[in-house]
Amino acid sequence: MTPLPTSFLQSVVRARTSEAAAEWIEHAAAIDAVDAFCNAYTAVPKHAGRAPLALTESERADLVAWAPDLRCDRWTVDDAARAFLLLSAAQRLEPGAFVSLAIECYERGDAREQQSWLRAISLLPQADRFTAVTVDACRTNIVPLFEAIACENPYPARHFPERQFNQLVLKALFNSIALARIVGLSTRVNADLSRMARDYAAERTAAARPVPPDIAMAIIDDARQESAR
Amino acid sequence: MRIFDPHIHMTSRTTDDYEAMAKAGIVAIVEPAFWLGQPRTAVGSFVDYFNSLVGWERFRASQFGIRHFCTMGLNPKESNNPRLTDEVLALLPRYLDKDGVVAVGEIGFDDQTDAEQAAFTRQVELARDFNLPVLIHTPHRDKKQGTIRSIEVIRSVGFPEERVLIDHNNEETLPIVLASRCWAGHTIYPNTKMDELRMATLVQKYGSDRIIVNSAADWGISDPLKVPKTIAVMRAQGIPDATIEKIVWDNPVAFFAQSGRLDVSDIQAPAAVDRTQKFETNSVLRGEQVGKT
Repeated sequence: MTPLPTSFLQSVVRARTSEAAAEWIEHAAAIDAVDAFCNAYTAVPKHAGRAPLALTESERADLVAWAPDLRCDRWTVDDAARAFLLLSAAQRLEPGAFVSLAIECYERGDAREQQSWLRAISLLPQADRFTAVTVDACRTNIVPLFEAIACENPYPARHFPERQFNQLVLKALFNSIALARIVGLSTRVNADLSRMARDYAAERTAAARPVPPDIAMAIIDDARQESAR
Repeated sequence: MRIFDPHIHMTSRTTDDYEAMAKAGIVAIVEPAFWLGQPRTAVGSFVDYFNSLVGWERFRASQFGIRHFCTMGLNPKESNNPRLTDEVLALLPRYLDKDGVVAVGEIGFDDQTDAEQAAFTRQVELARDFNLPVLIHTPHRDKKQGTIRSIEVIRSVGFPEERVLIDHNNEETLPIVLASRCWAGHTIYPNTKMDELRMATLVQKYGSDRIIVNSAADWGISDPLKVPKTIAVMRAQGIPDATIEKIVWDNPVAFFAQSGRLDVSDIQAPAAVDRTQKFETNSVLRGEQVGKT
């Protein structure tokens, strides 16, 4: 039987931490007070460590069953433990209280905490409640933070409005991030994105600078454009 | 040659930079209000930032013989924060009449959202009410479209185009700006935006009317000496000194003098530097005894 996301994350974390650390994390996941919860979210790496998560084959199979397009290859153990904290709170709290807790947790976070938060965002129930926060996260100049939402993350393709999704793709190009890392890009290419990508290529050419070879992934081909009409 | 850098974020720079700029011939600068790399979460952060632009930073520049002017505005990126926009826009009239404030800016588009367009439009209206010019930031992404839309906003307000400086142009946007009556700024950066040689090529192609260059040096990889370095490259490319002087002095001075707050004869005179002066009990000295220079 497929484990629920929360118990899946719990067992993944348990398999990689000491008994004392696992108990601390499970205790933290049950905290209701906003300040104490956010402080615990900050302190997670002290207990969970920062080693690569490195899921086993069977764990990968479990993950695919309920989050088929999430890629956790760059996750660390503290990312998984923080995701467990958020998912536990989502199960326990009434929706309004959970949303304000989660947003507080994001806004108080340092860049690394925000990175963990963004990596987990697609796993939360009714994740579309966090579109404003995640769109705003794309405005950062801290590239690893931008990558946490833009790359290996199914959230933008699933929830971003077209204009914001297009801006994300252009920002990835601008920062030399491989477009193959944007989950679901092929399902979201559109005429406006194609125009923006072509303009970007023209701007690079006029400046005698190389055009990223994967820019074609952002451009809808003529045949598809025709059939979309 | 006297140099005017019409766009540089000195708040992020060191006294070494001020020394080097003065030595390279930079005698006057404009520091546009912008974002600080880290999003602000409270209106008080803007109050303190705006105060520093008309206060401490202005004083600091004076200690190196550099005249410091600034522009005031809510930047496009942070215009997307609905909790702050109204409060920051309500603050601006407090600053727009102050000495040393020579334009509203830098305003414009970043992601080109509706919120950005609303804040942009309201600030162009404020510039009209306070009889100030406008400095427009053009976006990194979808720049050509952002430039076209910026000119549309100016026209929708009926704001005089000759009082608008559109910044960060490149080969694709410069012809669009020159086709309007707006002025065209160019940011010379080490890796992005524009470089010295490309700038010289643009001057050879388009001439010097309404053309301006700046360093836009800030907290990122940037260089406060990019204007003098561009002068050197333009000379090496055979551009006459009179043309260069128009770009690095006459044009920015003429543009910002439209504010009525830039006294051309004053900024042409050598600045007296007295490092024993203090700003609210602080000086740039660190306890050393330095006489007048």
